[in-house]
Amino acid sequence: MNFKQQRDNFRAKKISAVEAVEESLRKIKDDQLNIFINHFEQEALSNAMHIDNNFDDFIAKPLSGVPIAHKDIFCTEGLPTTCGSKMLENFIPPYDSTVVKNCLDAGSIMVAKTNMDEFAMGSSNETSYFGAVSNPWNHDLVPGGSSGGAAACVSANLTTISTGTDTGGSIRQPAALCGITGLKPTYGLVSRWGMIAFCSSMDQAGPFSRDAFGCAALLDAMASYDEKDSTSTKRQDINFEESLSKNFGSLKVGVIKNIQELDISEDVINAYETSKTVLTGLGHKLVEVDFSELSSGICSYYVIAPAECSSNLSRFDGVKYGYRSKGEKDIANLYMNTRSDGFGDEVKKRILIGTHVLSAGFYDAYYLQAQKVRRMIKLKFENFFKDVDLIFMPTTLDQAFEKNRKSDDPNRMYKEDLLTIPANLAGLPAISFPNGFKNNLPIAGQLIGKYFAEDLLLNTTNKIQEVTDWHKMTP
Amino acid sequence: MDKIELKNLLFLARISAKENEYPEIIKKLENTFELIDEMQDLDLSDLEPLNNPLELSNVTRIDKDKNRNDKKKFLDNSPESDEDYFNVPKIIE
Repeated sequence: MNFKQQRDNFRAKKISAVEAVEESLRKIKDDQLNIFINHFEQEALSNAMHIDNNFDDFIAKPLSGVPIAHKDIFCTEGLPTTCGSKMLENFIPPYDSTVVKNCLDAGSIMVAKTNMDEFAMGSSNETSYFGAVSNPWNHDLVPGGSSGGAAACVSANLTTISTGTDTGGSIRQPAALCGITGLKPTYGLVSRWGMIAFCSSMDQAGPFSRDAFGCAALLDAMASYDEKDSTSTKRQDINFEESLSKNFGSLKVGVIKNIQELDISEDVINAYETSKTVLTGLGHKLVEVDFSELSSGICSYYVIAPAECSSNLSRFDGVKYGYRSKGEKDIANLYMNTRSDGFGDEVKKRILIGTHVLSAGFYDAYYLQAQKVRRMIKLKFENFFKDVDLIFMPTTLDQAFEKNRKSDDPNRMYKEDLLTIPANLAGLPAISFPNGFKNNLPIAGQLIGKYFAEDLLLNTTNKIQEVTDWHKMTP
Repeated sequence: MDKIELKNLLFLARISAKENEYPEIIKKLENTFELIDEMQDLDLSDLEPLNNPLELSNVTRIDKDKNRNDKKKFLDNSPESDEDYFNVPKIIE
């Protein structure tokens, strides 16, 4: 069942919110893939009962009566929020994040919080303190990361929608590896308030669903101007679900020139070429763009993201909340040992890199240079968008990979984000959707749009999904 | 990176590590810098650094107090607290 069918069934009173939640919880309790960090039976059933008892108030809401799983990076009042870390294993937030509150107001029922790479730092969900998540298509493989649990949850049909965050590809890459649709909105469209910070100038929350329709409805719920987030943007009031049926006419779509020169697998390239014919079949015109310089984005990202993370994560000191190392006699050791015991290796490494690139003597060579690369990439996209309406490229270099394979070679893991990072550096919206299969594993492509062009991205993906079946495949 | 530089870095980041772990940490950091250093060849002297994609101006709101007292909720999240304070080891001898 997809999101639309589930919501239609609730609206037609074929299934109550309580029944939908009970079904979802039954599957969640049977989960063998380590998708969840916590689930909330009592709270979910009580919330579902409230929705059923006030049916008329909820029937027109974008997510009416639909169970949802939130990435465990979003604060939930009175319910644990771990961010995949020992540091926050017992943290109970005193407030809801804006995303969680918006989804609640939109008529969804939170049933669980999903597993993730620790503090969203990873591309395989293997850095989680709560253990790795398995890919629903093949349990020996990773689901991608950092929102690996959220993508696996929808892929395995445990809920029809889930939320994620994308700092360097953490929605699109797991969506690709799990065979579902995931959208990273324009920076500033969705509030970051109550979303545990990793790299504040790139972190952006977004939706997962099987198809563009589910993502549109969930984005309608998630997006809002929020005075509590100083980078929140006021936008024109667009209804993304309604925009799916709009006619945007024939588009100019930028496609990657000399794709063979990038380190992309043959199967991914074949799927890409097939999708190009789908785009032309829909009446769009393809224009080649030179992507080569964008690959330096990965260098920029691995300076800026650790730099911001080293600052953001300095709040975890064992004093106000979270883990505290036991028996410390002085404050210096309390800080040092709390952080050493509470953070995992990948997080500590990134804090050290960030501290180094921001320190005197290295700031210009690393941090400033990385910000200039970021400018270069933004300008490059601005130039592309003078000629094209959208850019189309593969989401990942290859399909899902084996657990432990890349954790021994971190640079290979970091390069996993080569094709997703540029949109984060520039703050642009991008949507990943399945566009092929090989060896019973999904392959995906992504469309990147101009600022606040989510309506066009969702509309174009929806049109592609009307004439293809890749998004209907289930593990 | 040598051991003294790493020791300083660990102190700045408030992370502890045993000296026998230093070589492995240095190896991991140098490996990442190998990847990052690929951008050093680019001549970007004519570009301004970009620190936020949308180059937004700050969002302000009316400076008005809100009747909100969550003190107990916040203190309850602390590893150690008493009625009104976060408890930490003695700072001043």
